[in-house]
Amino acid sequence: MADQPLLQIKNLESFYGPIMAIRGASLSVKKGEIVTVLGANGAGKSTLLKTISGIMDPEKGQIIFEGEEIQGREPHVIVKKGIVHVPEGREVFPLLTVDENLSLGAYTRSDTAEIAKDRQLVFDYFPILAERRKQEAGTLSGGQQQMLAIGRGLMLRPKIMLLDEPSLGLSPLLVQEIFAILKRLNEDEGVTMMLVEQNAAVALNLADMGYVMEIGRIVMDGTAERLMASEDIKSFYLGHQEAGQRSEKRWKKKKTWR
Amino acid sequence: MNMHSTTDQITINGVTLNAIPGQRPIHVDHCDTVVKLFAARCSELGTRTAHREKDYGIWQSYSWADYWDHAKWMGLGLVALGLKRGEVVSILSEDRREWAYADMGIQCVGGVASGVYTTDSAAQLEYLLRDSDSRFLFVEDDEQLDKYLEIAKNAKQVTKVIILENEGLHDLDNDRCIFIDDLYDLGREYDAKHPGFFEAEIDKAKPADTGLLIYTSGTTGMPKGAMLTQENIIAAMECGAHTLPVFPDDEQLCFLPLCHILERDVSIYFPLAAKSTVNFAESPETVFDNMQEVSPTVFTAVPRVWEKVYSRVLVLAQEATWIGRMAFGLAIKAGMKRADYLVNGQPVPAMVAFNYAIWNTLVLKNLRVMLGMDRLRRGTTGAAPISPELLKWYWGIGVPLIEGYGMTENTGIATVNQPTLNRIGSIGHAYPGMQVRLGEASEIQTFGLCNFKGYWNNNEKTAETFTDDGWLRTGDVGRIDDDGFVTITGRIKDIIITAGGKNITPAEIESRLKFSHYISDAVIIGDKRKYLTCLIMIDQENVEKYAQDHKVPFSDFASLCGAEDVGALIRREVEKVNAEFARVEQIKDFRLINVLLTAEDEELTATMKLKRGFVEKKHSALIEQMY
Repeated sequence: MADQPLLQIKNLESFYGPIMAIRGASLSVKKGEIVTVLGANGAGKSTLLKTISGIMDPEKGQIIFEGEEIQGREPHVIVKKGIVHVPEGREVFPLLTVDENLSLGAYTRSDTAEIAKDRQLVFDYFPILAERRKQEAGTLSGGQQQMLAIGRGLMLRPKIMLLDEPSLGLSPLLVQEIFAILKRLNEDEGVTMMLVEQNAAVALNLADMGYVMEIGRIVMDGTAERLMASEDIKSFYLGHQEAGQRSEKRWKKKKTWR
Repeated sequence: MNMHSTTDQITINGVTLNAIPGQRPIHVDHCDTVVKLFAARCSELGTRTAHREKDYGIWQSYSWADYWDHAKWMGLGLVALGLKRGEVVSILSEDRREWAYADMGIQCVGGVASGVYTTDSAAQLEYLLRDSDSRFLFVEDDEQLDKYLEIAKNAKQVTKVIILENEGLHDLDNDRCIFIDDLYDLGREYDAKHPGFFEAEIDKAKPADTGLLIYTSGTTGMPKGAMLTQENIIAAMECGAHTLPVFPDDEQLCFLPLCHILERDVSIYFPLAAKSTVNFAESPETVFDNMQEVSPTVFTAVPRVWEKVYSRVLVLAQEATWIGRMAFGLAIKAGMKRADYLVNGQPVPAMVAFNYAIWNTLVLKNLRVMLGMDRLRRGTTGAAPISPELLKWYWGIGVPLIEGYGMTENTGIATVNQPTLNRIGSIGHAYPGMQVRLGEASEIQTFGLCNFKGYWNNNEKTAETFTDDGWLRTGDVGRIDDDGFVTITGRIKDIIITAGGKNITPAEIESRLKFSHYISDAVIIGDKRKYLTCLIMIDQENVEKYAQDHKVPFSDFASLCGAEDVGALIRREVEKVNAEFARVEQIKDFRLINVLLTAEDEELTATMKLKRGFVEKKHSALIEQMY
């Protein structure tokens, strides 16, 4: 079953109360791949990740991980299967130290020696965390907190990492730094990633495959190259301005997603 | 105004007309031109509401006096800028009251109004401006303006461009562009200096003057500008008054492009005769909401819109509780039973009527309220073939929907059904005053005062369009039954002759396919081929819903079209249709067009129908796969 995707989502529907946030989304992630899901605010990207990691239950549809249906299972069961969710807005434990935060990432594991190895790995990738290991996480800068959140996720030795907007609220330089590390993690450690982003340019640079989500549905998919070449992506997500007749152009063409 | 009518007069719903329709001199309320009627209506109706339009989400009313003032300022403003009688002014805008103002203002001062679709590209705009030799151009906003700016250097005969909305254009610095308020100011000034000039120009108008140019979307070759005269339009109003009564307190909703003769007749000219109120929809996307708000008393739409409403209702019904579904099913059944009698012109038996009355009170009335059709006295459909089943369904839910037929070249007026004289599947009888006959190869031909004058600067095409004895060739093939009902079977140019030598008119098969609410449009292929095949455009919304309900994974539109189950679904629909046709007329294979087409694409008309020629050319690879 080499061709079988690691994670496969079929016809997923999720609700926030009466509001249908995901209206039938289907996508798949292969092992070793980075897949990005692009979309504007409210497109349903975060809901998608939350539904995968079990924080929310889907109304309908299947989530298949390593050939097994996992939709609607409890989050702690899903974590044990090797799916790690790095939430939006960093969400580290502010009053615990960096070390303690990392230990919590390995909460489900008991192989002490291996855990120590992974802690070292995190420190190799994020040396700044090693320097601050005794510091309370709440006192770290935004970028460092994001690194810690990713590092905490790595402590599980995940089969797939779900990353919710790692670039949010970070300076362009830090975004570059973090994305470079994500790339290395993927290339060197083979970590599979599903990345939700509003910053389409960095996400497409990093990813192999991409999906575009609009109001709860996938409207376009393809390789990152194909998406980057699409006129719609260029004008709506990458901020390219077509050469207009006037210096200021306010209107945009209708999206066709071709 | 010409008050010396020579023929006997009758009055229909308060409008005076010739007793014998279709006779010269033709009048509506003693006016022999549209512009005279416009002047008479505005002074008669003054503060009554002519138009309504939404402004920041609230419906605002605009009176007949507003109509007059603005049209006058526009007309005089254009004169001040140099417009001469007989010159063309183009209008590139979505429907809005200024569209009507401009149409009237231009015609009142002797100009010729020509509409351009907002979905047209810059290149198409260039062609239209050059072909019509337009001196002025109205553009709606920055988006439309940019099309002009792109081709400005190739359209030098346009002396001024008038912009209706200044949003985003405060920094615009181009001496060929002015804003609408500047034009109004010019008009007011001109009026102060030349009082009575506007009224004098209106009096100069002759029935034979060309009032508008309507470009017809040729499926082959470049669009041609059909010249319609003042008399053509007055004749159209007369036909309308005889067959499709509209009353002064009627409410209408305008949303199809006013560049098209259908909406132009129904939303600008007929209301002039009938004194009714026209509400402009906010945008083509909000029609269904606007429909609910306005709840029009008469409503005209193209089949595509009637199809959409129908499938929305079906989807809603599917999502209802089981009690709701059951009630809906029974209500439709009761409605269809009654419709069986109604559409055949038979009296409804008491039991059937009683059963309907119950379900009408319980379900159907609410359904109509929800659709904004609770006040609807009559729905009309035209501009494209509609499936008979769909027509009957509307009668079933208590909406009398009738089909009419016309084309630009006969001012949109040829034949029509009436709620009381209706045969589903036919396009009705010739309008009073118009004549219809079958010519060579059963081509439908029309004769009467609605027939146009000819194509702008194209005598050759004009000559081709008329027969030697002066009848208009419609290009449609049909038959006329013993009771005079006309039925269209297809287009002459579309007739498919298979390799086996069998003549097939694809329109019938295509219209059956389109009744499936998973199929939005279809093009039958098979000319000089061994068998028939078909290219199908699926209805995105309904097929997505089907896929979602049946756990068919898909991501984008192409993957939806590529899904095996979707292919199987459409195959079932095609087979259902095949069962109704003889073997040579059956569709052997089909392909889905896996690109989501928009009105901007050349494969689609402005009313979202597939254009055979373009589709065959663009998707020839798909076609070849099937042979």
